[in-house]
Amino acid sequence: MSALVSVEDLRVYFGDPAKPVRAVDGVSFSIHRGETVALVGESGCGKSVTSMALARLVPQPPGVYAGGRVLLNGRDVLTMKERELRALRGNEVSYIFQDPGASLNPVFRIGYQIAEAMRLHRRDVHFREETRELLRLVGMTDPDRAARAYPHELSGGMQQRAMIAMALACRPKLLVADEPTTALDVTIQAQILELLVSLQKQLGMAILLITHNLGLVAGVAHRVHVMYAGQMVEAGLTEDVLRRPKHPYTRGLLNAVPRLTGSRERLTGIEGVVPNPARLPTGCRFHPRCPYARDICVSREPEAESAAAQHEVRCHVWREVEGAP
Amino acid sequence: MSEQPDKHVLLRVENLKVYFGSARQPVRAVDGVSFDLHAGESLGLVGESGCGKTTTGRAVMRLVTPTEGRILFEGEDIAHRSTRALAAYRKQVQMIFQDPYGSLNARMTVGAAIEEVLTVHRLGKRNERAQRARELFESVGLDPAYMDRYPHEFSGGQRQRIGIARALAVNPRVVIADEPVSALDVSVQVQILNLIRDLQTRLHLSFLFVAHDLAVVRYVCDRILVMYQGRIVEQGEPDQLFTDPQHPYTQKLLAAVPDVEKGLNAITKA
Repeated sequence: MSALVSVEDLRVYFGDPAKPVRAVDGVSFSIHRGETVALVGESGCGKSVTSMALARLVPQPPGVYAGGRVLLNGRDVLTMKERELRALRGNEVSYIFQDPGASLNPVFRIGYQIAEAMRLHRRDVHFREETRELLRLVGMTDPDRAARAYPHELSGGMQQRAMIAMALACRPKLLVADEPTTALDVTIQAQILELLVSLQKQLGMAILLITHNLGLVAGVAHRVHVMYAGQMVEAGLTEDVLRRPKHPYTRGLLNAVPRLTGSRERLTGIEGVVPNPARLPTGCRFHPRCPYARDICVSREPEAESAAAQHEVRCHVWREVEGAP
Repeated sequence: MSEQPDKHVLLRVENLKVYFGSARQPVRAVDGVSFDLHAGESLGLVGESGCGKTTTGRAVMRLVTPTEGRILFEGEDIAHRSTRALAAYRKQVQMIFQDPYGSLNARMTVGAAIEEVLTVHRLGKRNERAQRARELFESVGLDPAYMDRYPHEFSGGQRQRIGIARALAVNPRVVIADEPVSALDVSVQVQILNLIRDLQTRLHLSFLFVAHDLAVVRYVCDRILVMYQGRIVEQGEPDQLFTDPQHPYTQKLLAAVPDVEKGLNAITKA
């Protein structure tokens, strides 16, 4: 299986070049055809900026692509010409975001907005037919009515379905879903997730899921990457990472989520707060919050290393963490 | 989470109705809700957006006036009391809001924001108020050295702590918390939830905890009410409610919540 997307040592900085804010700082990962990869982390960890870099969507300035490559089918997105990027965006790579209400244009009908990408990339299809087909695909019971509706006439769940239809208009190879269900009620959330999973099976596209919700990751992602302060701190198969976490941060995150079953004993979570990206700690960026931290963690930045088959971790003391109860 | 809440009824809500809009075609946001809040108890109110949970909380705080029904605090009905006559009630019942960014005055230092509550309620002498504010600040896990700062200088979690300190300033017996952690990061969420659990035990507070997240409510509440379309459809203790939900809506809600264990088990089976 060759990688559809291969991100190598990606660096995206913001602000003053002399003292840049390193929002994404040496991130590497790959996404294979038809697979779902999750990027997990808290606000400011760089997960959204990473995802935007996949179609070179980070505005410059204030952003700067300071290093690395983003290979899509072997071609580097970061060095493409504008013309090539236009051919890629909304076509091979498309996005859905957290707040569908804010992503839809309030003054155009849903159908028109869905057909917009086709006008750019797929002159060969019959727009109205194809729009109807897409709306049916995303589970709209009355596709014609939905196509005629303005965004405000639809509920949040229906708006997100419309967004998904729009994103799928050109049958992308990669769908980037940035917190796609965070703004929705849980019952609607479950419907949208189910829809994404079934669409993936039908269309064979890869999904990059950006989320802070580990429960959601557990249900849909094949592989998961945990980000902290601009770096990947742990990566592996979903089950390995969530059942046998190696990094203290991943462990802390899992320990911070109240569960639906089992003990209601006090959760320990993680002390402190996410560091300001303009003032990152020395050594390991997690050390001020880490219960296992020792001298080396303060003085030297850890490298990513392989902890098991298909399981990477960036931590000096992961062996100790793994053995801890 | 107190182990044995005594059964003294502090707050009784009877057939509460809150309608909005025209009298001919009202939106029935809350449509006949009744419950008791016991002293020292943490009562959860869960449901999806539009179910009326927030309006119920706001009605109990009397930020909206009920259309019908009674709200009895220690036996006295405050449902239709005038704002002036509510001052004493609001010394007993306080509220924490979802958005720690929107609920603090951006132009007032956080120390002054806490002191303001004491001034409004005429608590303590002027020179004692600053000291009391410091104590409150410390009691929610913040360093009083930062009291001269403005809200924007604090993180979301810290701001929520300040909101809690403000609510506690009058020594209330009931705190209504409306989605107090839903705007916070996962690692900060649990810190605030633990603070709420600790305060409840330490101060013997009663909480009406309004939230959409079932796992969060399970973590802090002794008893849970499930709301749907303006009504309470089911209630019970967390363990019973979560293992054996009776109402179809509760069942649907529980089935829909993404959960790490549930998700992993689904993968293993697939």
